[in-house]
Amino acid sequence: MSATTAPSSTTPGRAPRPAVIPRLISAFSGAVGFAVKIALLSLMNGLAVWAAYVLVSRSHWAAVGVLVAATLLIDLLYMRQRGTIPAKFLIPGTVFLIGFQVVPIIYTVEVAFTNYATGHIATKAAAKQQIELTSLQPPPNGRTYTMAPALDAHGKLVLILRDDVSKKDFVGTPKGLTPLPAGVVSSRAGGITAAKGYTLFHGLALFNLDKVLQTYIVPVGKAGIRPQTTSTAVELEPTLRYDAKRDVFIRISDGAVFRDDGKGEYAHGADALEPGWKTGVGFKNFSRIIHDPLVRQPFLRVLVWTIVFAAGTVALSFALGLFLAIALDKKGLRFQRVYRSILVLPYAIPGFLSLLVWQGLLNDQFGVVNRMFHMHIPWLFDANWAKVSCILVSTWLTVPYFFLVSMGALQSIPEELTEAARVDGGGPLQIFRRVTFPLLLVAVAPLLIASFAFNFNNFNNIYLLTSGGPPQANSSVAGSTDILISYTYKLALAAGKGNDYGLASAVSIIIFFIVAAISAVSFSRTRALENLA
Amino acid sequence: MNSRKRIAALLVVAVASFFAAIAGSVNAARAAGPTLTIWTDQSRQAAVTTVANQWAAKNPGVTVNVVVQSFGNIETNLGTVDASTAPDVIVGAHDWTGQLAANGLVEPIYLSAAVKKEFPAYTLNAFSYGLAVKKLYGVPTQIENIGLVVNTSLEKVPTTFAQLEQEALAFKHKKSGNLAIAVQQGSGGDAYHMYPFFSGLGGYIFGTNSAGNLDASNIGVANKNFLKNASLIDKWNKEGLINAAVDSSTAQNAFIKKQAAFWITGPWNSQLLSSSGIKFTVVQMPAIAYPSVPFLGVQGFMVTKFASVHGVDALAQDFVTNYVSTPAAQLALALANGRFPANTVAGKQVHDPVLAQFGKAGIGGVPMPNIPQMNSVWSDLGAAWVKSTKGSGATKAATAFKAAARSIADKIG
Repeated sequence: MSATTAPSSTTPGRAPRPAVIPRLISAFSGAVGFAVKIALLSLMNGLAVWAAYVLVSRSHWAAVGVLVAATLLIDLLYMRQRGTIPAKFLIPGTVFLIGFQVVPIIYTVEVAFTNYATGHIATKAAAKQQIELTSLQPPPNGRTYTMAPALDAHGKLVLILRDDVSKKDFVGTPKGLTPLPAGVVSSRAGGITAAKGYTLFHGLALFNLDKVLQTYIVPVGKAGIRPQTTSTAVELEPTLRYDAKRDVFIRISDGAVFRDDGKGEYAHGADALEPGWKTGVGFKNFSRIIHDPLVRQPFLRVLVWTIVFAAGTVALSFALGLFLAIALDKKGLRFQRVYRSILVLPYAIPGFLSLLVWQGLLNDQFGVVNRMFHMHIPWLFDANWAKVSCILVSTWLTVPYFFLVSMGALQSIPEELTEAARVDGGGPLQIFRRVTFPLLLVAVAPLLIASFAFNFNNFNNIYLLTSGGPPQANSSVAGSTDILISYTYKLALAAGKGNDYGLASAVSIIIFFIVAAISAVSFSRTRALENLA
Repeated sequence: MNSRKRIAALLVVAVASFFAAIAGSVNAARAAGPTLTIWTDQSRQAAVTTVANQWAAKNPGVTVNVVVQSFGNIETNLGTVDASTAPDVIVGAHDWTGQLAANGLVEPIYLSAAVKKEFPAYTLNAFSYGLAVKKLYGVPTQIENIGLVVNTSLEKVPTTFAQLEQEALAFKHKKSGNLAIAVQQGSGGDAYHMYPFFSGLGGYIFGTNSAGNLDASNIGVANKNFLKNASLIDKWNKEGLINAAVDSSTAQNAFIKKQAAFWITGPWNSQLLSSSGIKFTVVQMPAIAYPSVPFLGVQGFMVTKFASVHGVDALAQDFVTNYVSTPAAQLALALANGRFPANTVAGKQVHDPVLAQFGKAGIGGVPMPNIPQMNSVWSDLGAAWVKSTKGSGATKAATAFKAAARSIADKIG
């Protein structure tokens, strides 16, 4: 017997209720329904047009194509009068599923096969440009200038320059520097205000010169004077030279050649130029999980603890929740609503808040728990006690959920079955074991599996309570209470050089396969229970 | 039915084109002249807006757009933001410099010799980074460091570490529940607040190479001098001078409720201290075997690579290099955040006694290393302190720190 049938109405005087729903349905049919449908469709199309406008302005052509195709398809499906009715119900959910689940997964898989990490987030062209910019260096005794861009008598762009130290004036062109006699340039308060024979730029005209000034160089020997701000220029010389034919950078001082080494950087042996760029690296991230001792060594231990934590939390919460639901299922129990409200409180308080409060309560020197019971248990500082604390606090947070679920599932079990069992002479424990529990499990099993999967990746409960737990004695990234996902987080952000998103994505995919495997096995096993019907 | 469908189709098209018109007009309503976008955090928004508007008044035609982000997000979002909404100037912490420069997100800044003289060398070093060529990437505006806050009505200000130890332990034994030194750790550890102890025992994070750059291969977490003095940590753990169970709220509460006479904290709590009614003085922790200097945090302005994409590169550089570096702007920005300005000329105009005391407590301090490898250090170093000061069952300090040094070396690779 399926436990998902609607509860049969037990109280009399409820006859008018079934008529409300057909009344609502008939009210929304016909012209009113049609108008609502058109209004919603128009809104959706309008948003799609706006989104397409933004995407086109940023040249994301693939996304525009997908958006237009999807919008047209949805319009078509909803405008058909008959047929495609299941699609009409499923479309909103599917759109959100694809948008918020499938697309991030595809993106994660894509990142896992790249070297996306600190130092490798740009494109190759941007990296090249930045290398050229940062390899410039002021030469020994390099000069700084007060500058003003101007047009000379022939209408060509020049720079009027005043040496900050010697106070001599020059005019700079792409051909070189020419000194100006004293008295030509007038200045005030550290800025050049006028130059005889030249028209200075001011205001918007000056600001619009920006892109031109970025590439304007006045050569001086091996170095060049480059504009920096709207009123200053600096003498800089390059330390690297780019060879476009061979696509290499050559260090000017010793001729060292920095080649594109296929790993997203220009490198000369072990030296690499920063920044690098994002590039595909195939299965390197995955092989690192297997070969790198830093990543591999704690993996098994962390996996075992993750399964123990998730299974322990779910089992304990379900047992307690069910026990409380049965205890409060008595008909005619006074203050039933009060008990239920209190028991649901841990679920209602934001988890972030309660976890941080528990962290304070479990402090072994100053925490309330140890003080109240005169204990000295190192709740969060001992490896094993920290694990116990994680499971206990997680259970505290999950019991209300299973309490509510069990209450609902208990009420859906028809009374005739338990009556029949009692008539047949079964004791309360036997009735529970043979009749109530199997029927309960059919309804609750999917929720148990879902809760297991959720706790398998329950980053908050672990990280906010213990930050991954007391550190391990031997050196490793994972602490004593780190689960796979918090371990991944630490690997990605606290290991090596900055953030390694490629590695984190690869480990996330491994976690996904583990959780999917466990869930698939559990689902297939619980289908056996449904044969009871 | 057919006419209905036609009406429906027309309605759909009408609404859709209405939205398109809105989208178009929104885009067209952009300002005519160049716009400078600045990312800052909530606490600095007012000061940055004022300073930026004063600068814009000197450059008529430029519009300034100040966008508020949460401080930590400024660094992470800069890497993923779309170029059309990206900032040209950001407010940032100096220890972001390495990561941002390695990702190619910030532009080099060149200061004239006259301006450079107004800033202490370490503040400019804090914003400098480069494997081959070291370049300056930011103009510092404020500096902060932790100090030892002493409740002068409970205990005298210690001049030697032996005196501090004696006074702290005497206070601890006066009443159960008293703390000797309230310094925060918690189960995750806090290498930043423990640094004065670390440097006083002879520890350092990264050494410098011959060019004066931080050398990630020279890890000083378990260097010879430190290991010689590491047994002092075991002594402190046994007598209860430091306890890893103390976290930030425990330490704060203990000091405010007069259950601790010594608190190690920074100028972010100066408001709390002034309004608590406690008579206090802030000093640098007395030297142990070496001066117990704290980490120095420097914050400032950086120019992003998006400034050149937007065509406002010269303007952004002008704002940061020529305006934010002036004493007036420095004073305004630093005081709005309750910190000491980096510019020494501006510093002479600060009259807040508490800020001045924190400033003195930072003399000789070490700027937090700004290279990306620093990420690996925080958790391991904090963990080593937790392991060796957690009371009974603590690991010997020499073992814990040697393990930390090995782990950091493994991670940096």
